[in-house]
Amino acid sequence: MTDPIQPGNKSITSGLSYRDPSGFVFEDSGNIYRQVNKNFQVHFDHFIESGFYERLVKTGLLIPHETLQVPCRTREGYLVLKPERIPFISYPYEWSFDMLKDAALLSLRLLRESLTHDMILKDASPYNIQWYKGRLVLIDSLSFEKYDEQRPWIAYRQFCEFFLAPLMLMHYRAHSLQQLLIAWPEGIPLDITSSLLPWRTRWSLHSYLHIHLHAKVSASKSRTANKKIIFSRQKLLNLVTSLEMLLNRLHLKDRDSIWSGYYDEVSARGEYFEHKKRTISSWLLRSEAVKTAIDLGANEGIFSKLMAELNIQTIAADFDPYCINRLYLQVKREGQKNIHPMVIDISNPTPAIGFNNEERLSFLDRLQADQLWADILLAVGLVHHLAIGKNIPLPQIASLFSKMSKILIIEFIPKDDIKVKEMLAQKKDIYIHYDEAKFESAFREYFSILNKELIPGSNRVLYYMSVL
Amino acid sequence: MDHLLYIDPGSGSYLVQVIIAAVLGVAFFFRNIVTYIRSIFTRSPKKTRDKPSS
Repeated sequence: MTDPIQPGNKSITSGLSYRDPSGFVFEDSGNIYRQVNKNFQVHFDHFIESGFYERLVKTGLLIPHETLQVPCRTREGYLVLKPERIPFISYPYEWSFDMLKDAALLSLRLLRESLTHDMILKDASPYNIQWYKGRLVLIDSLSFEKYDEQRPWIAYRQFCEFFLAPLMLMHYRAHSLQQLLIAWPEGIPLDITSSLLPWRTRWSLHSYLHIHLHAKVSASKSRTANKKIIFSRQKLLNLVTSLEMLLNRLHLKDRDSIWSGYYDEVSARGEYFEHKKRTISSWLLRSEAVKTAIDLGANEGIFSKLMAELNIQTIAADFDPYCINRLYLQVKREGQKNIHPMVIDISNPTPAIGFNNEERLSFLDRLQADQLWADILLAVGLVHHLAIGKNIPLPQIASLFSKMSKILIIEFIPKDDIKVKEMLAQKKDIYIHYDEAKFESAFREYFSILNKELIPGSNRVLYYMSVL
Repeated sequence: MDHLLYIDPGSGSYLVQVIIAAVLGVAFFFRNIVTYIRSIFTRSPKKTRDKPSS
């Protein structure tokens, strides 16, 4: 094996990994590596020798890694691993309900599997789970340690705070409470969760035990010390079964969102929609070497699917969690590998959080790291929502888009369009700068307009632009 | 008692797991009995297997 790590290079310890003493992630010349520390050697060797690693990789539950014959970064080091690279990292507060629920069920499955190899999942963080090639996988190969049957599950509380708490709040209260994960980067505290959940959840055995009783017992400090605690494998399995039963009861209430059914309505306009698809396809095919794309305002992902079929890795982003959840379920059902569904409000994109604001990067930072992530940005049926719905001036929208991708496919919907008329019916028309000419001049500051096409059967215009 | 000055956030969670596991042990024990009795009644008459027992 050649040495890919240049000794003189400055390596950056990834902001998300230094809390775990068993190893850390570092970046070198654009590659990602993971060092395993000597204090974790026994566990890691067992992980490999017991065949557990191989089994997890074969079943697609863990990201594969290569073991490198290179010197470690620090004296505590035992080995250096090079895991396969995840194309785009996303965080649990950007996932739709069922994606977070699947990540929770995956963690429990990993726990069950680990027990069959005399190991146990020691870390139940959703940040260790990522969307990769159309499925959720564990990305931290240092998540398992040797199992001591007498000890309870060390990551139990973490699991409840990271997975159960947001999912229960989303199920019983509102989907938007998922955003509490931004306020509490280490999981939503159980006493807070308990106080926010409806009283009736106390009458359900599993939610009472894992949330309400858990919160109460954890708070009573004096009783916890000095007690000899003995556990067993069967007790642990019962705990896992109970958590699974509780999770399987949680659902996103299938309420019609603002935008669901949008395409049914749009497709009723027949020729208009087909033309739009044809134009976008022809532009996509024309631009060579397009490998990655971001579809802003993806709705239920019609155009994301168009790009995915052309083998373009696409982030399908929309602020509507119901649309993205439906897209997630569809992508999962169909085994579509090129779509990454994310709940993102582009008028308020995910901020950077954690220590030094470096533990979890902002959405824009991830798109702009080293070089621009997306080869193409698609913004169809979006600008009027930002300009009229959110009062964001056109030059600022153009500036933001120019920082996201080199190529832009964008639609302008004028004021006399029925959809914009509906928006303006509710508010005073103060948008004197919203017309086609001003739209073009705002975008010409940052882009050159290479193509422009009026969509027949409407007065909407599609543009193909390239950053200056 | 020095270590009482610092309470490991995980320790409360250990104790609660013991309590929860005890409750679940009882709950699952009775659930299994109920499932077993149900299976006798749903399977025995005429041996029809149209409806699953659980």
